[in-house]
Amino acid sequence: HPWDTVIKAAMRKYPNPMNPSVVGVDVLDRSLDNQGRLHSHRLLSTEWGLPSIVKAILGTSRTLTYIEEHSVVDPVEKKMELSSTNITLTNLVSVDERLVYTPHPENPEKTVLTQEAIITVKGISLSSYLESLMASTISSNARKGRDALEWVISKLNTELEELKSTREGMKQAMAAASPEK
Amino acid sequence: MNSVGEACTELKREYDQCFNRWFAEKFLKGESDGDPCGQLFKRYQLCVQKAIKEKDIPIEGLEFMGPSKGKTENNS
Repeated sequence: HPWDTVIKAAMRKYPNPMNPSVVGVDVLDRSLDNQGRLHSHRLLSTEWGLPSIVKAILGTSRTLTYIEEHSVVDPVEKKMELSSTNITLTNLVSVDERLVYTPHPENPEKTVLTQEAIITVKGISLSSYLESLMASTISSNARKGRDALEWVISKLNTELEELKSTREGMKQAMAAASPEK
Repeated sequence: MNSVGEACTELKREYDQCFNRWFAEKFLKGESDGDPCGQLFKRYQLCVQKAIKEKDIPIEGLEFMGPSKGKTENNS
């Protein structure tokens, strides 16, 4: 679709069946800069339908999570940039998204979207639990590995001892068996 | 689409209608002779700011938002 069509749709993206969790959109601020670009600052309210036990674990009584979105539309250069980040649950995770819509360089009936998301998992509780879980697994495996080697070594030593005493026994037996001539 | 503040949804709808029309018919066509939705936006914004405070939504700098350089003209 041509850029204009896509941009009009992007401005009115919600509600849509693909994003059922977005339940509210509000414009916090909007202005034109001196280059004629439209800046918008919006608030998105999302409802994930978290079961109450998850909410209890997350330690939140909120049912809604909020996302802040900034967008800049340049009608001359035909470029729309959006960036969004969550402003709740930030102690656990950060989801930063960036989208850029530009007309297709070869086909004006098409639009190019470049999108990236950076997801950062934070949180002392969660990450240190995972870390300590991994550390204890690694160290218990290491201990198991050491124990296993110890066991193999001692088994080898025993066999070696047995071999030695067998050889001794055989030597003695041979010595005893071969009479002096 | 609802507003974060239940009471603001109607104001939001009015503003959105005005904005979407201006955006599609004027702004994208390169005619930015001022946003005609200024009044509607003001009323809607006041409502939203109140709702945000009440719901304790962590938006930084909201209370300092005011007329800035290059802000859209209010047409009455």
